[in-house]
Amino acid sequence: MRRFPVSRLHAAILLIGALGISYEITLMRVLAIAQWHHFAYMIISVAMLGFAASGTVIALLRRRIEGRERPLLAAGALALSASLTTCFVLSQLVPFETFRLTSEPAQLRHLLILYLILAVPFFLVSWCVALGFLIEPRRIGRLYFFNMLGSGLGAAAVVALLFWVRPATIPLVLTTPAALAFSLAAGGLGRRWQLGLVIPAALMLAAGLTTRGQQIRGSEYKGLSHALRLPDSRVVARSQSPLSELTAVASTAIRETPGQLSGYPMRELGELPEQVGLYFDGGSVSAVSRFDGALEPFAFLDYVTGALPYRLIDRPETLVVGAGGGIEVLSALYHGARHVTAIEVDPGVHALVREELREHSGRLYEREDVTLVLAEGRGYLEGRPDGSLDLIQFALLDSFSAASAGVHALAESYLYTTEAIQLYLRKLSPEGVLSITRWLKTPPRDAIKLFATMVEAAERAGIAEPGLHLAFVRSWNTGTIVLSRAPLSEGQVVAVRDFASERGLDVSYVPGIRRTDTNRYTVLDEPIYYEAATALLSDRREQFYRDYAFHVRPASDDRPHFFRFFRWRSAGRFIEGTRHGWVSFIEWGYVALVATVAQAAVMGFLLVLLPLIVFARGSGSGLGAAAVYFGALGLAYMFLEIAFIQRFMLFLAYPVYAVAVVLTAFLVFSGLGAYAADRRLAAAGGGEGREPLRLVRVAVSLIAAFGLTYLVVIPAVFRAAASWPDPGRVALSVLLLSPLAFFMGIPFPAGLQLVSDRRSRLVPWAWGLNGAASVLGAALATLLAVHLGFRAVVVLAFACYAVAAVSLGSIREWTEA
Amino acid sequence: MIRKREGPAPAAREAVVPTLSCLFLPLLFMSAALQPGQGFGQEAPDGGFREARERLVREHIVDPPFGSEYAVRDQEVLRAMRTVPRHRFVPEELVRAAYEDHPLPIGHGQTISQPFIVASMTELLGVGAEDRVLEIGTGSGYQAAVLAEIVDRVFTIEIVEPLATSARARLAELGYENVDVRHGDGYFGWEAEAPFDGIIVTAAASHVPPPLVEQLRPGARMVIPVGPPFQVQTLMLIEKQADGRVVQRNLMPVRFVPFTRAE
Repeated sequence: MRRFPVSRLHAAILLIGALGISYEITLMRVLAIAQWHHFAYMIISVAMLGFAASGTVIALLRRRIEGRERPLLAAGALALSASLTTCFVLSQLVPFETFRLTSEPAQLRHLLILYLILAVPFFLVSWCVALGFLIEPRRIGRLYFFNMLGSGLGAAAVVALLFWVRPATIPLVLTTPAALAFSLAAGGLGRRWQLGLVIPAALMLAAGLTTRGQQIRGSEYKGLSHALRLPDSRVVARSQSPLSELTAVASTAIRETPGQLSGYPMRELGELPEQVGLYFDGGSVSAVSRFDGALEPFAFLDYVTGALPYRLIDRPETLVVGAGGGIEVLSALYHGARHVTAIEVDPGVHALVREELREHSGRLYEREDVTLVLAEGRGYLEGRPDGSLDLIQFALLDSFSAASAGVHALAESYLYTTEAIQLYLRKLSPEGVLSITRWLKTPPRDAIKLFATMVEAAERAGIAEPGLHLAFVRSWNTGTIVLSRAPLSEGQVVAVRDFASERGLDVSYVPGIRRTDTNRYTVLDEPIYYEAATALLSDRREQFYRDYAFHVRPASDDRPHFFRFFRWRSAGRFIEGTRHGWVSFIEWGYVALVATVAQAAVMGFLLVLLPLIVFARGSGSGLGAAAVYFGALGLAYMFLEIAFIQRFMLFLAYPVYAVAVVLTAFLVFSGLGAYAADRRLAAAGGGEGREPLRLVRVAVSLIAAFGLTYLVVIPAVFRAAASWPDPGRVALSVLLLSPLAFFMGIPFPAGLQLVSDRRSRLVPWAWGLNGAASVLGAALATLLAVHLGFRAVVVLAFACYAVAAVSLGSIREWTEA
Repeated sequence: MIRKREGPAPAAREAVVPTLSCLFLPLLFMSAALQPGQGFGQEAPDGGFREARERLVREHIVDPPFGSEYAVRDQEVLRAMRTVPRHRFVPEELVRAAYEDHPLPIGHGQTISQPFIVASMTELLGVGAEDRVLEIGTGSGYQAAVLAEIVDRVFTIEIVEPLATSARARLAELGYENVDVRHGDGYFGWEAEAPFDGIIVTAAASHVPPPLVEQLRPGARMVIPVGPPFQVQTLMLIEKQADGRVVQRNLMPVRFVPFTRAE
């Protein structure tokens, strides 16, 4: 093998690739803390269209740029190092507020300003890479390799960094590698250029340093902002991980309970124990109660709906999913659980309860009868022996306000799919019960969907009459549904009814229920939950799914969007409600996703295709073929990446490492594919001849072969390896993904080389087009997965690749013409 | 008039709000002044606002656009809605929007509720001239003022000190002598003045504070609006019956039938 040629340019491009992805991930965290996750996603996606804009700008200014590529690249890197902090600080000055978007037109203006500010760094990243292609026009794949390698390493580095550094500080941290990229890029320039660039560099660095201590401007409507306004509140601890920023706030006015305490006799049984609120990304809260080993102060936990399963089973071996601050663990202990396994996915929670809040929480997680496991619930359960649990209890996983705003509609959740419920049933002992509590929304939807999921899962698990295994109890704001592995005995049915009437709760379903038994304590206009439950257990189920205003069909592993309830059929009614201001039935996550797709499509057209139509008229039909080729590749790549990474997340069970390792491997192997393609093309005399076409055809065939094989084989492989230790599963994931990623890395640089050799001025444009298509592809992949499932997304990706392969032939003819 | 106060935001942000307001508000006011019937600017102190208020009550509360079955009919409530100057309870820069049927931000993560919701909740409480009402979450003080027009005494508790202070001053300035504003934690109610003939809790928590239910007189009602900021999805109505039994009703401010077809 020849010596690996690492030049300054390559090192600079590697750093810039790393900066682009690090900045993207950082901004995502920042915006999720400041506002809400789904809007964070939308804002970043649109800002990333800056990528596309710079390709177009370079293509249009090609004549003026010619001969000045190197200094302009250096200038771009310099501007990038300045923009990382500047744009971040500016973005924090924009008084954008998600909740006011529907009522205040000014918020749209703020949003637009935010887009423009945040697009700048992405514009500059893309500017540098596109100029890099112009500097090394014969070795496109090699440069692309360094860019991808940088992206992969950057993703891993920023995830590691997020364990130690607050997201608000990371833009400043990133200034150093950006300055390094600048000095590498400026290294070969003459003195005049260097002086002209170094002085502003020093000034910008000085300006960047003034942003130390920059805070994220959190929405005043988020839980943490409210908590900090309480009279005696104080922050007692902080912790962070790539998953969340955790703030522990103490105040006598924090009193979080897992739902309504119906009829709790506070005078007799006492006030609630003192609490510290754990705020995740400034939003949803989980309470850590003061605990000294005495369980009497937790009597209030017998007054919430979630206490239901303890009436059905004695001294259960219990698993709590989403343990958080530990309130469900305390409930299990209060109700006499033999042993509790507490599953928590957020390493920040671990850190706090083991350190700063150790004494406050009474060393809850160090008791002999409690085991704390850092894992994702489903993944942990996959590896647990069958039949080993008497009770699987789901804590209320997010806050009441977040639930009612519908902010999770985008999130995939493999906890609430029919496959997941079947898994839980397998892990239960013959008498065991599964209990899930959800915040209720108005109009009803979550609990109905959950009930439907349990019914269908039970049927698939071979339970002939699910109606004999289910009970559903509700207060005004929570609903608890219990699914028992054995049919509920007469005694258990009586226990459900007694529990409800003692506590002033409504029974919405229990075997043998009658309409008159329901809707007594929290009266709804119609006993909707009862009607839904009975319809779902009858042969009217399909009709119910069709007729209900919300999407309440169960989620599956292929379409794991439990929190999506939006239906286009009801859109008119939703909009009507929002227009009148008082009511919002809209799932914001879903709306934000549709808005992202729409904006990416429109902006992509305006930024990439329109300028081309206007300025490159008369270039022939090949230009259209090029647009199709690079557009289709951008879509296809993101479709496959997102669909497969989703599947692997489920398998890896631990999202933080999973994202980092799998994403890094994916990008690096794609980079290697590009490098290999470059070597082939260089050996064959560049993009001339038939070599690029042959390469792309082979790559596309192999992508389809691997992809299809995985679709079929992967579920079985994952089941077999479910109980492997973490490193084993990570290694297996990388092994499986790497060949796919490798071949996916080939078509783009091969096509770009073809263009570069004959019509080099179009290279930046093609690069920008691919960027725009990638942004659109990522959002579109999610939207398609919501409606059609991930398998369909994979199949569509193959279709896009096929289209690309065909259009490459036309490009070749055109470039040779 | 109140000044909009910012929460724990960095100082730089505070500079931006006035700057942006300086740029855009003159434009907004100019456009408002050009519309006939809006009556801003040089007219008599409450002249234009009274007309706007009348129209708000007429078009959004007496005859709401989403259906007459949601109309507020209680004459005392309507009189109160016609009387209380809502524009005195909103931040200066939003005065123009004071008589639109929308919730508005008042800073500190709080809002002034939508007039239709205020009227509906007041009607739901079913209180009269002899009654004493407790409110948890004073906010701007608007709901307290509406109640003060109708009932004998209003006791209101606000946990955010600057809001409590400004609401107290505003209510005094407007001559509402029958309102007591207290800064503090509303969880335990106002024991010394209990029981109450009606309670309004303006922020939904994870549970209804048991002490508040205790301080409700048998036969009286508690109303709690539920929903994310700027939205009300449900009105929780808690009725303490004569025998002390508690029944809760989940009312939607507007009916939304989740079934698309009759079965």
